[in-house]
Parts: sequence; C-alpha cells; structure tokens
Amino acid sequence: MRVELLDLTFSRGSFSLRGSGTFGEGVHLVSGPVGSGKSTLALLLAGLLRPGSGDVRRHGVLTTQLLLQFPEHHVTSPTVAGEAASWGLIPDDALRLAELSARADDDPFHLSRGELKRLTLACALLRDPDLLLLDEPFASLDCVTKKKACAVLEERDSGITIVFSHERAILPRVDTIWEMEEGALAARGSVPDAIPSWRHAPSYLRYALDQGARPENIRLSDAREALCRIRG
Amino acid sequence: MQDPRLRLLSVAVLSLAAFASTVGAAAALVWWLLFTPRTKSLPRPGVLLPLVAIVAATALVSAWGGGAGLSYFFRMTVILLLAAWAYAGTEDGEVLTVAVWALGNRVGFEVGLIAEMGIGGLSVIRREVEQVRVAMALKGIRPGLRTIVPLAVTLIVMEIRRADETARLLVVRGYTSGGKICPRFRTDPLDVPAGMAAIIPAILSALPLSDVFILVG
Repeated sequence: MRVELLDLTFSRGSFSLRGSGTFGEGVHLVSGPVGSGKSTLALLLAGLLRPGSGDVRRHGVLTTQLLLQFPEHHVTSPTVAGEAASWGLIPDDALRLAELSARADDDPFHLSRGELKRLTLACALLRDPDLLLLDEPFASLDCVTKKKACAVLEERDSGITIVFSHERAILPRVDTIWEMEEGALAARGSVPDAIPSWRHAPSYLRYALDQGARPENIRLSDAREALCRIRG
Repeated sequence: MQDPRLRLLSVAVLSLAAFASTVGAAAALVWWLLFTPRTKSLPRPGVLLPLVAIVAATALVSAWGGGAGLSYFFRMTVILLLAAWAYAGTEDGEVLTVAVWALGNRVGFEVGLIAEMGIGGLSVIRREVEQVRVAMALKGIRPGLRTIVPLAVTLIVMEIRRADETARLLVVRGYTSGGKICPRFRTDPLDVPAGMAAIIPAILSALPLSDVFILVG
C-alpha cells in the first residue's frame, strides 16, 4: 500500500505548491509553518483538489479519510449523536472515544472547538481507513487530549497515516518526516536518521541534538531518554 | 455598470417590469443582452441550475392548475438573470454607500448595514454549502431527500449563530445606531444610457399589449 506524488503542482493566486515522493505504510509527519501549504497538500491527497500538473497515485488504497483542520467544517447534523452517526459509525462508540457521551443530544455547535475536534478526530480514527489524512489534528486540543490522540494514532498498526501539523510540543511516534516550506514538499527521510535534518524540529529535540544526544523518535519522551543515555 | 446607484435602480426597475408582464420580461432580457457581460456574470451551473429548476417546477405546477406557467417561467428566469448580474457586480460596502447617499447617515446607515449583512450572509451561505458538500463527500453521504432536512437545519442554525455573533460584535465595538460615511461613486460613460434604457421595459410592461403593437405599427 502506498501513495505516490508524481511531480505534483498546484496553484491558486500567488500561492503555488509542488512535491514528489512516496508515502508508504506507517505514520508520516508533514510539518511546516502556517501557510506553507500543508492543508492544500492534504486536500490534493484526498482528491478534493485537482493538481495543475502531475498526479497522485494510490496503490492498494481502498478507503481514504481526511480530517479537516476546522472541525466545524465536518458538521452535517444538528445533534452530536447524529454527527457521529453521519460518519457511518455507532454513535456510542465515537462519543465514548471522544469522551462526549453525556452530550449526545446537544447541538454540535454548542460544543467547544476542542470538544468538536475530539469528536471529529474520534470519528476519523474509528473509520480506520487505508489512508488517513489528519490536517492539524492537535489544534484546539489541550495537552492531555493531545497525548491521548497521539497514543491512539500510535496504536494504528496498518495503513498510511499522514499527520499535517505545525505542532511543536506534543507529537506522536512517527516513521517518516516531511516538511513543507513555501509550498515545496521536502522528504527528510525515516526516523531517527531524519531528525537532525528536520528544520522545524521542536526545541526539545533541537536541544537534545545540540547536547549530542540521538533521540530514537520525535516525542518529548524520546528526547528525554536520549539525554539520559548520554548523561548516564 | 460601475455606478452602484444606477445598477440598483436599473435592477429594481427591470425586475418589476419583468415580473409585471411577459413583454416587460422580453424587453428586460434585451436590456440584459445589451448592457451586461451576459453569461460572464452568471454563477456556475451548480448554483444557477437548481434555481432555474425550482422556477421550472413552480411553473409546471402553475400550468397544471391552468395558470400561465410558461409566462411565469420566462419572467422569473429573466429576474434570475438580472439578479445574478447585480449580485456579481456588487462590491463590499456598495449597498451601504448607496443607502447613506439616498437616506442619510442615520436611517440610511441602518438600512445599508442590514442590507450589507444580508448580502454578506449570501456569500457565507454559498461557502458553507460548499463546506457541507465536502463534508458529505468525506463521510460518504450521498445527497438525497433524507439528508436535506438535517443539512438545512444545520445551515439555518449556523446563520442564526452568525447573526448573533455579528450583533454582539457590533455591541462590543460600541455601535448603537447610525454612522457616518462620505459616499463616493465611479460612473462609467455607458452607465447613464444603460440606466435610462432600463426605463423602456418598465414602460412596455405597463402598456397593454395591443397598444404596443399600435405604437410599433
């Protein structure tokens, strides 16, 4: 199972995006500053935008799910339970994962943005597609929920997961790092070898690298462990 | 047409003419063909065709009941074309400016602000419908009768909420009533002849058809 970007280009106004590469099975992180083109790339990969040139080819991918950056853009139902059902899920399962069981009859727009994000993230994860595209999945979440979301992501043991995020504090264990810079997609490679060349690496990773440590992955705990190893 | 005053006046007069009679609608259509960018001012087929379909369905019901269905369809389609042209040409703040020019800084500002919010709401609704369409595609929901009601409810709730937020924002910014702006308008050389020509369909729509033939003959 893989997704190939073949000399992909896309333009809208003064913004242009370009990228090539192959996303294999595992968890990929596409990082980059706000406005660098991460969301546009996610929409292209989901087939919601057509590239100007080049192609997105899916091999062995039967189901695709994109989690949009703004959770309110997913809402199509007037109740929280109805919203979960609109994803083709058993509402109780989704509400339990999102810790919103008590809000089943509420209007989705009466949830806070963080709660709505929890709901849409839970629904996207429960659908368990072959290709899971998560656009800023940690935005609007508190630290505890971010950690829980990371844990659920790490439990996904099959398929391709691509996380588009500018998050620099709480991140999941990933297999590959990519970066978007001014519309250009750059492959940094597999983790842990890719970490030193990751330009938007979180400060804790940068600190660990500066200290001579070699973290196994990109989480804060990985940086801490690497520092402990060199310091004894 | 550059001048929003003449554009709004023309569209109001032409719409009334088109609504009043088939002759008026035919004359308004000729005006639309002569003085607008025609098809360039139309929205994409996904927006226009459902509106035409609603008009066609109403016309069919009218014809089935013995009414003038075909005439109704023609007149309403011309009004749709005029509305599409007026909407495409309207820029942010124009309606407020025209209202203040016509009715002054107190009443005009109030009326213009409400109209601006309404027009702004239309473009927001269009964007939200597009978002809902994307959301449905992502969830694998096929558009159908079963999905229309919850979607309509969701969109209405979103609009009510937005209106509430806008009202709160105005209060936070200290708005009570009225305002002050200095209306300025650009006028194209063709605006005045086009505006004057818009009166012709209105006159034709007010005349009995037999009188028109006498006039022409």
